[in-house]
Amino acid sequence: MRISEIGMGRFLRISSGLVILGLVLEIVSLLWFHPLSFVLFAFLAASAIGLGILLYLVSLVFVAPPP
Amino acid sequence: MIAVLICQIVLSIVLASVFLIRPSLTHALGWKLLAFIGLFLLPAMCVVGGMNTHIQRSEQTRFCISCHVMIPYGQSLYLEDPAHIPAQHFQNHRVPVDTACYSCHADYTIYGPLKDKLQGLKRIYAQYVSTPPDPAAIRIAGGFKNAQCLHCHLGARNFEENAVHAALLDSLKSEQTSCLTSGCHDTAHDIANLSHLKFWRPAQ
Repeated sequence: MRISEIGMGRFLRISSGLVILGLVLEIVSLLWFHPLSFVLFAFLAASAIGLGILLYLVSLVFVAPPP
Repeated sequence: MIAVLICQIVLSIVLASVFLIRPSLTHALGWKLLAFIGLFLLPAMCVVGGMNTHIQRSEQTRFCISCHVMIPYGQSLYLEDPAHIPAQHFQNHRVPVDTACYSCHADYTIYGPLKDKLQGLKRIYAQYVSTPPDPAAIRIAGGFKNAQCLHCHLGARNFEENAVHAALLDSLKSEQTSCLTSGCHDTAHDIANLSHLKFWRPAQ
């Protein structure tokens, strides 16, 4: 399956889901005063947000908008 | 500061939720712009803000001693004997009390804070995945550098007017003579003997 065949809606759903997951994890990491909070932020929250942003940008470039 | 960042994150979550529930909204131009803000600009700003907050937090003394192996090092800041260099600096506010550990153990170079964070991640790995070290056996990789002392003391009148310091200044700058291990200021945290030593109790 080519990227352009996947609907824009599906891309947006996945990217916004990842962004929301990452942001919720970021809130937890900010409220949790523990050495592991930085690990939670850097490896899970920032990665999820980054992946969500990347998917959104990919959808803008490769997925044609519906007529 | 954290409250502002959390408000920004909540706003970003609300915006992203709109596109999770109704992605078809992005057909209209106004919603397209809102999607760009909610799925790119705001989350990117949240990551930058979060990284900044976490880095600032990791400079705090209470963050450093939140690790089990660092607790005795935090206690050593309250030793009564002024010959203990960290305790003397901490108790007399020669270093900021809130960032006491960072003031002496930060690598004052362009990539220093990044190297410190990587060292911190190695310690977290040792604590949770590998074998946690004995607190008394912890040593700074490469030894304690004079540059960390000279960062504050160099140029200070009471430092430069001291005859020994003046005579050894070049040697101290080039790290040939160590401030700590040359025998002049050799009592640092002394974790192994902590239970036998007297502690200072602050009035408050």
